[in-house]
Amino acid sequence: MSAPDSLRGIWPIAVYTWREGIRKKTLIGFLILSLLVIFGSMFMTAFMAGIDYSPSGEINIDVESKLVKDVCVSAIAIFGVLIAIFTSASVVPQELENRVIYTVLSKPVRRYQYLLGKFLGVQMIVIANLLLMSVLFFIALWIKEQIIPTLLLWSTLLTYFQFLIVSSFTFAISCAATSSVLPTIAGLFIYITGNLTNYLNDVFKRSSGSDNPFESAVAEVAFYLYAILPNLRNFDLKDQILYLAPNDPPAGILIPNLILYGVLYALSGYLLAFWLFRRKEL
Amino acid sequence: MSEVIELEQLTKTYESGFFASQDVHALKTLDLSVHHGEIFGYLGPNGSGKTTTIKMLLGLIFPTSGTIKILGREDIDSPDIKQRIGYLPEGAYYPDFLRGDEILRFYGQLYQMGGKALERRIDEVVELVGMGHARRRLMKGYSKGMRQRIGLAQALMSDPDILILDEPTTGLDPLARKEIRDILAGLRDAGKTLLISSHELAEVELISDRVGILYQGVLQTMGTLDELLKDRSTTFEIENLASDKLKALSDAGIDAEDHTDDRVLLKIPASMPVYDAIALCKAHDAQIVSMAPKRETLEELFVRIVGSAEAGTQPETPEPAAAG
Repeated sequence: MSAPDSLRGIWPIAVYTWREGIRKKTLIGFLILSLLVIFGSMFMTAFMAGIDYSPSGEINIDVESKLVKDVCVSAIAIFGVLIAIFTSASVVPQELENRVIYTVLSKPVRRYQYLLGKFLGVQMIVIANLLLMSVLFFIALWIKEQIIPTLLLWSTLLTYFQFLIVSSFTFAISCAATSSVLPTIAGLFIYITGNLTNYLNDVFKRSSGSDNPFESAVAEVAFYLYAILPNLRNFDLKDQILYLAPNDPPAGILIPNLILYGVLYALSGYLLAFWLFRRKEL
Repeated sequence: MSEVIELEQLTKTYESGFFASQDVHALKTLDLSVHHGEIFGYLGPNGSGKTTTIKMLLGLIFPTSGTIKILGREDIDSPDIKQRIGYLPEGAYYPDFLRGDEILRFYGQLYQMGGKALERRIDEVVELVGMGHARRRLMKGYSKGMRQRIGLAQALMSDPDILILDEPTTGLDPLARKEIRDILAGLRDAGKTLLISSHELAEVELISDRVGILYQGVLQTMGTLDELLKDRSTTFEIENLASDKLKALSDAGIDAEDHTDDRVLLKIPASMPVYDAIALCKAHDAQIVSMAPKRETLEELFVRIVGSAEAGTQPETPEPAAAG
């Protein structure tokens, strides 16, 4: 059974993007750094074991395990999102620069198909990097504790959807840009503000109802930003990983709802990308 | 004669400046047509609007006004029209980690080809461009000429009716140029229509059926080479001559075109019968060493047309042929 016409061309573009993307030195650098941090955390705890932390002279095994988890989850989040941002920001501007886009779009490939192929290729790179980092984290944890906590599996899944949202909006901005600098900065901005939206809600709550016109305006801006921006903290299970039992289910969140939330934001990002790219002069 | 590409009153204006306050006219009411089965040389200095035209034909940028028809249709962005166009951009990039046939497989898949048909077509095009021996080599091991051939091969993947080639021979050595030229002539003989944009005027002259010269977004002239290269003359090579005698010849309408230490090249205008020129030379004691008929080259025509356009004067050539 062959793919419908509207979908043909997307897969070859995705595979091409993937094959080219995994060879980028920046991404390889981030990946190596993250792997060093993940394995470094084990050596760090081994070093700390010699430090006199308790009356008995031994570091608490729970503290040691928490340290490994804390460092590894943070490393995966930071390096993973950097890989997602750099990849999403560069795939389209790079093809404009080296003119591959001209040969591709002169073929019977619609612009939305081209964008879907590029976006899919980016997601393949992001997923592969996330899986590689996570597997090594699991190996590190297995060596330490001989367990693979289910919470970590959920965390990996939700981390991907966090990357998906950041990646989709970075990709959208790259479709309007001529170089990868602006979309990279925008991607970092989205990631940082997306992790601070709870503060926007606090600002809104504190400033709303004030008689001061400036504070009212601030409240209104904070409200709209809070309503529009994705709340990336929703996808963060780090505290639960550190403080809940390894195989506890995620508390206080509905995984399917979060996945839907991530997919809808990613879809908005893709539609924005298409809208910006639809009549772009190449 | 059927028109494969028709441009009518095609205009492209870019907005420039901080507040998009300035208009830059890349193309001004361009009327141009390319006939079925011909090689059309699309010429012009840098910034004259050639690439803008090509990008509009491919749907990469959009006209400000005017119409574009390809194979009689205005919906040039539709997949079935694009299926019939092959495009080779100038200085195309192909990733070093791919092999020649992997590049072709990728582009073939974009034409919705697959399976045995795709592999068969790859076999055909690599043979056509003479790359059968190197198809499994990585791109990083390819010379510039080999990369250009792979570029040509990707443009040929769908067996297109129309080929749009941007600088297909630039940067190649003479042997590679000749081989590419032979391939292009072979494609024309096979019934393909080729639009070639190039600065290699000698190459274009050798293979083009018609040419159009663009300058600052305006088509200055268009026609067959026979129509355009009408300035025919004869040159006499003579033994060196005293300056007063050269002046006398010049007054009679025979100008010295070039001087060497002991020889002078005289240009005999087409309007002067050769026997009259010989008689004039004899009268002024000029010893004729050799005689040669001469036709204006495309390069000379190009320099004359662009020079006249720059100077704002009317070039001495046939009127630009009407579209169609």
